Amino acid sequence: MKFFEKLAKIDRRIIFVILAITIISPFLFNLTFKLTPLEESKRAFNFINSLPEGSTVIISIDYDASSMPELQPMLEAVLRHIFSRNLRVILLGHWAAGVPLGQQALEKIASEYGKVYGEDFVVLGYRPGLQAVIINMGKNIHATFDNVDYEGTPLSKLPMMSNIKTYEDVACVFGFEAGNVGEMWIQFANARYGVKVLLGCTGVVAPDLFQYRQSGQLVAIVSGLRGAADYERLAKHEAFASYGMTAQTFAHVLIVAFIIIGNIGYIFTQSKKRRSS
Amino acid sequence: MKREIPMIITFVSGMAIIIALFVPHPPFGRVEETFNNWYIIISGFTMILGLNSLLGHNLDKVKRKAEGWPYSLTLILSFFITLIWGIVSTIRTGHIFASTSTFRNYYYTYVFVPLQSTMFALLAFFIASAAYRAFRARTVNATLLLVTASIIMLTQVPKGETVMAPVLGVAALLAVWKLMSEFESAASWTAGLPYLLLSIAIVAVYLPIVEVLRTQTTAVNDWIMNVLQMGAKRGIWLGIALGGIAMGLRIIFGIEKSYLT
Repeated sequence: MKFFEKLAKIDRRIIFVILAITIISPFLFNLTFKLTPLEESKRAFNFINSLPEGSTVIISIDYDASSMPELQPMLEAVLRHIFSRNLRVILLGHWAAGVPLGQQALEKIASEYGKVYGEDFVVLGYRPGLQAVIINMGKNIHATFDNVDYEGTPLSKLPMMSNIKTYEDVACVFGFEAGNVGEMWIQFANARYGVKVLLGCTGVVAPDLFQYRQSGQLVAIVSGLRGAADYERLAKHEAFASYGMTAQTFAHVLIVAFIIIGNIGYIFTQSKKRRSS
Repeated sequence: MKREIPMIITFVSGMAIIIALFVPHPPFGRVEETFNNWYIIISGFTMILGLNSLLGHNLDKVKRKAEGWPYSLTLILSFFITLIWGIVSTIRTGHIFASTSTFRNYYYTYVFVPLQSTMFALLAFFIASAAYRAFRARTVNATLLLVTASIIMLTQVPKGETVMAPVLGVAALLAVWKLMSEFESAASWTAGLPYLLLSIAIVAVYLPIVEVLRTQTTAVNDWIMNVLQMGAKRGIWLGIALGGIAMGLRIIFGIEKSYLT
């Protein structure tokens, strides 16, 4: 029975080492699995696909480096799709420490597609105040950002911004969420101004957003690394999320295996205790 | 007057914002926009309050050489390095995150981002260890939780359906083993009968359930997320929303005054 007792009490350092090897190995061997995209990811992709050329999408960066592995590849996949469809982007964010991540991704993908700052994309940056910022954007986007972009260039000098004054002039908001800012976009931008909202979020945030999908206030949820990998597949450009998904698959299976091993040890140890008592 | 003036400001601001929601025409729409602009400015200043508190607390720890003071010193040094580097970069390039800014291209990219990612990445290891220790079939509720969590973990990943059958097979075997031990140790045959029937039921439904999970993986995942978890969560959210409305009204009408102290 000592064997089962050991199964119930595996040293956590052993778990850490096995998990590290499991996560790293798919990246070393570039392993990928064939994915069947989830309905939610397809809905987001199809919505962006249905927008007429020249439409403007507001991208909101509401995450920072801690959620980067899930949301950065998702952002890059969505941006690739947006620029391949000749849509335009306004980038802003409500997590001050995360906005530069969005900016870096935007610059990288824009250069891949030869897009020009001020004509095809604009970065408005960060303003504190969250709900107040979202509400005021519905009245006047220029004034909310003091009429300048993140580097202080007057918005009036950026050709793309000349026809964009309020939410009525944009096709949708696509928020990338690691917290509850997505709900603010729905509660203030969608509920008050009727702007269409799509959210890409971390896996743990997604369960909080399904209620808005059911009520029709949210166009689609792209959830977690799986959502990012789905989007890469739909956009026919497999990158980091697809490799990361393989690592996540192995990690999930490993955790479930550990749960089973722990329970085998627990049940046999308990039945031994009961018999001896 | 120290209490009355803030209460009057709260009442007027709160009522103006509520009225503006239902009457978005002048002067209310304009008033709301102005109030929101004030809020944006004030929330910027709250960061100074936060910094004052953070630095004050850690400076005090360093002065007293309290336990863990080297960490406080590291925090203070990091804060000033970040601040000074940020200011220098802003002066040289015009914006702290301009594409040529050394703050962005070195400090943010190679120090800040990796440190923050590493902190969060450590969670994966603790979650794996915690799942192994906490997900034990101690009670019926705990068993339901661990089975549902395992199904969600496997339906979220590609090829999850292929390992579903062996995983559920082992789980079913364990459940039958535990139920049969309960049956054996029951005081009488009739007292143990429910355990026996439950064991037979598990064996009977195992194959159909595995087949459904294998062929309808994403549908099962969607159903658990959209029905099972959503029902419970919606109840919680409705409670939170009603509580928020009640608290908001209490503050606006001056019934709740704890925010003044």
